[in-house]
Amino acid sequence: MQDVLDVATANLRDLRLGAWAQLDDAEALREQGREARTRAIKNLSRYLDEFQGNVEARGGHVHRCSTDAEAAETIADICRSVGASLVAKSKSMASEEIGLNDALEAEGVRVVETDLGEYILQLAGEHPVHIVAPAIEKTREDVAKLLESVDGEPVDRELSAMTAKARRQLREVFLTADVGVTGANFAVAETGSICLVTNEGNGRLVSTLPRVHVAILGLERIVANTHDLATCLKLLARSATAQRLTTYTTLITGPRRDGEEDGPEELHVIVLDNGRSSLLGTRYEEMLNCIRCGACLNVCPIYRKSGGAAYGPVYSGPMGAVLVPLLAKAPDLPHASSLCGACTQACPVKIPLHELLLELRRDLVDDRVASWWERAAFTLWSLAWSSRLGYRATTRLARLGQPLAPSLSQPWSRGRALPRLQRRYRDR
Amino acid sequence: MKRVQLFATCLGDLAFPDAVSDAAMLLRSAGFEVDFPERQICCGQPAFNAGHRAAARRVARTFVKAFSREAPIVTPSGSCATMVTHYLPELVGVEPFEIWELSAFLEHEGARMALVNDGIEVSYHDSCHMLRELDIHDAPRRLLEASGATVRELPRPDLCCGFGGTFSVRQPEISLAMADDKLTGTAPVLVTSDPGCLMHLRGRSEALGGSRRDMPAVVHLATALARGVRA
Repeated sequence: MQDVLDVATANLRDLRLGAWAQLDDAEALREQGREARTRAIKNLSRYLDEFQGNVEARGGHVHRCSTDAEAAETIADICRSVGASLVAKSKSMASEEIGLNDALEAEGVRVVETDLGEYILQLAGEHPVHIVAPAIEKTREDVAKLLESVDGEPVDRELSAMTAKARRQLREVFLTADVGVTGANFAVAETGSICLVTNEGNGRLVSTLPRVHVAILGLERIVANTHDLATCLKLLARSATAQRLTTYTTLITGPRRDGEEDGPEELHVIVLDNGRSSLLGTRYEEMLNCIRCGACLNVCPIYRKSGGAAYGPVYSGPMGAVLVPLLAKAPDLPHASSLCGACTQACPVKIPLHELLLELRRDLVDDRVASWWERAAFTLWSLAWSSRLGYRATTRLARLGQPLAPSLSQPWSRGRALPRLQRRYRDR
Repeated sequence: MKRVQLFATCLGDLAFPDAVSDAAMLLRSAGFEVDFPERQICCGQPAFNAGHRAAARRVARTFVKAFSREAPIVTPSGSCATMVTHYLPELVGVEPFEIWELSAFLEHEGARMALVNDGIEVSYHDSCHMLRELDIHDAPRRLLEASGATVRELPRPDLCCGFGGTFSVRQPEISLAMADDKLTGTAPVLVTSDPGCLMHLRGRSEALGGSRRDMPAVVHLATALARGVRA
């Protein structure tokens, strides 16, 4: 797993840097992106209302759901109301967040992931470990074995053969699914459109073939207008996969209209809160600017060593380490970082991720979530080191106690030599 | 004569006093009188980065009491220079200080380097704070080259070494794995400008067998420039 992840993240990072280098002024575009996202979040309520009005004017339905359970129940209701027995899904991290697949399967509905990475993970019974490349840790051999487990037929360990096999397995699903569930990369308030960004085209199939299309998105996905959408799109693919645009960039505005040949009869947009609105007006509001490009994951030295599953089942890497503690209890995540700042440097919309991680650490201390002995240790240290006498006394003790050090300093010395404390510089 | 105030840092004072002496020597060779304010202790960064603001503030106040604003402060630590530059003033509620990381200062002052590393190949590790928050990348490399060394770039110069203060003991396995990555593909000598990175990388290199097992010698930039990497 380790080598695969090291190589994959390094490649994605190099590709992104190459894509940014092709821009006339990457820094200016990042600033534009930051501005567009900030404006959307600062006027969230207004834009959500505008979005809803425009979707409904074109015959779509909007369901605003406060919690994950409410969203899962709403989608289950929609499936029930149309007697759905098969749901085809294209990639949606929001659907992972609400545990949608489990909720639908508990109702006896079969759910099949059609994004290739998600499909592979579904076959393995696992969760995504990267928000853009969900099965990033799987090797060619892993994937081949999983595809073979479906129909018992062997496949060449060769990319086009394996893709063709997956395509054959998924074709039936696209053609016979009753409901298609997608996420949405952006929701455009001005036009009531949702924007889907994929490379596989599964998003297009899932949103047009089944009779009912359900799109679930976090409420922060709102952008004001198509101009801001364009800014975000210019940043998204370049930052995620180094493409100027993904192969399929789809704008969906309402369900099928009279006279149109293609499209679902019903469109339901689920706007998910699940704690996001609690960030508004706080120091953490900026986290809602995230466009889910994954650039931060690809540069994070902790992510590449520990893998996505270590962070939890949905969001990982720096964006996960910031977002998850804000939406749910996750006291370890703010410390799953060396505060190196690579994430902040990589973020296309300039979210100061490592500064937000530091804020979260402060909260852990101020809210007394950090253990009492940790707080006591730092307090005692600071009292000792706030006077020359205290500093000299404690450091003299440390020097004298050096022979004992290895056993007292296990977390350090299991794997690293200790520095030899010598005569202090000041005593020379 | 021009003066500077030397900030040894707590790690410098306690664990790498030679590097601090070397920094003082470099500054004197560059024509500066070097003051060592006796009341200095620590900038408070270890507590600050762990989220303990009150503890950090208590210790950071000692910095404010120790240093005057009459002369620039120079320190052989990228992370401490960052702390004092970007975070300490707001934490304690004081005006900013003029503080320089050593290599940035020496380069700015056009200091000439002695040819103590002639013909030697070294690699240089960019500490995260110095690189990303102080934007110092070229100065250490130019100074090393001026001392005669050839700088071989690390395969991934952008990656953190894994120290991260308390991170090194909260997540020791990941911290060690990150150190191992840094120690791969380096020249036989690895130079760094930060005592935290130094303590962590040298500690790991030694634990893995040091020169007996082809692990690099890890050297502070001040020592590399003052007496040479073989010192």
